[in-house]
Amino acid sequence: MNRIYKMDCHPEFIEGWQIRFSKKNNNVLTKLNMKVIFFFSFLFLSGINNLYAQEDGFKQVQDINKAETELAKLSENTQSIQSKFVQEKHLSFLTENIISKGEFSFQSPNQLRWEYSEPFEYIIVFNDKNIYIKDENKISTFDTESNKMFAEINNMMIGSIQGDLFTDRERFDVKYYENANQYLLELDPKLPEMKSMLKTIKIYIDKSDISVAKIKMIESSDDYTSIDFTDKKLNQPIDNEKFNLK
Amino acid sequence: MFLKIVPLWRKGLGELKNVIQINPPGPLLKKGGILFLSISFIIITGCSSPYKNLNKIEYSPDQIKNIPYALPFSEKTLIYKTNINFYKNDISGLLIIKKMDENIYRIALTTQFGLKIFDFGLDHGILNVKYCVEYLNKKLIINTFQNDFNLLLMQNKSESLYVINNSIKNQKIWQFASGKLSYNYIQNTDSEKIEIINLKKQNSEKISVGLQNYTDNIPKNITIEHRNIKLKMNLKLIQ
Repeated sequence: MNRIYKMDCHPEFIEGWQIRFSKKNNNVLTKLNMKVIFFFSFLFLSGINNLYAQEDGFKQVQDINKAETELAKLSENTQSIQSKFVQEKHLSFLTENIISKGEFSFQSPNQLRWEYSEPFEYIIVFNDKNIYIKDENKISTFDTESNKMFAEINNMMIGSIQGDLFTDRERFDVKYYENANQYLLELDPKLPEMKSMLKTIKIYIDKSDISVAKIKMIESSDDYTSIDFTDKKLNQPIDNEKFNLK
Repeated sequence: MFLKIVPLWRKGLGELKNVIQINPPGPLLKKGGILFLSISFIIITGCSSPYKNLNKIEYSPDQIKNIPYALPFSEKTLIYKTNINFYKNDISGLLIIKKMDENIYRIALTTQFGLKIFDFGLDHGILNVKYCVEYLNKKLIINTFQNDFNLLLMQNKSESLYVINNSIKNQKIWQFASGKLSYNYIQNTDSEKIEIINLKKQNSEKISVGLQNYTDNIPKNITIEHRNIKLKMNLKLIQ
């Protein structure tokens, strides 16, 4: 950041501003405009614009009540979801993100299936208190009581999709942002166990149908996982067998 | 008695003088004593290092790159789908191995969902923890991971490199020796690949690694097994 501000204070640049406002010399003005354009493009490219607004033009929600009323529809709008997903894992020491793909199904209140198909095959199903994992044709069963980590993942996923997570003020500090197409909710965990795993959870919600479009989980090291949901089918019947692995 | 035999488990571990103490035999027991001594000697010799009678040549340590094993030298990011069985815990996820520089690596394990389980730096054989979930962040476990990754990435400190040819088993053994420890990279002379790696303390095996399905000298399947703790890792290359 310092480097950028140094540019701002470049003698020629300051001189330019003075000329702009005092002498109003046209030639200099053109020169100056170029510099201003250059400066702002630089800011834009360097990501400094995040200081002023959220990414992708997200701004803080002005009318919180309206947003909350809208978002309350989330749970009834998504009694069931079937969708494809693309998961991207960013690790600071890698130049390329690790990408995996698959299909996702959710049936309210507590049935969830993640099926990874690329670049590996792996299915995890949460069905009430049971967890089934299918890994290379081997099926294992757990219960959420004995496996706290899976229980937490389950709560987080269902909570994100159904909206329970951002009304849970005891566990999260919530900030609301929006742009023309989406709401963005930023959840900062308050509890120490959760904090040690995650710094922020960002949930992107499409305004068109009030359903979750993307979840981004940012770790304390700034490494993140983002999950994009595409080809969403909302509130259509799902075969119950999808939530049982045998 | 004139012969003092140490328990069976000690056999082959120490020098001969530690195993048998001989007192001057009395005339009656002289014959039997010598016979028993000979048998013991045969048994003991049989239990000592399997490589003992094989042709062993000392190589210069810079011959390390002639070992047909590219995992430590690959410039590509390697991703292995991994299962770890540690006592009653099953941990599964993606293991990412990235060479950052000569003898410097980053090794991270994430769950399928992406959350990190651990993120280690390995710098000239020393493992440093960048992040590790609490239940694995114990000194004993971290040391175990350090030993495993050093073995897999050939980062162990050693004084000398030997090559042992075992023509009966079709093996060429690249052996790094350091005091009582030896790190053996065992090449199958038919397939020309390193199919077994093991860490031995004197002659007892501590860690054993099986490697299969090579492409460009990088194994697609790796199994790491510990002999003295219940730890097993299965790795399958996906990228």
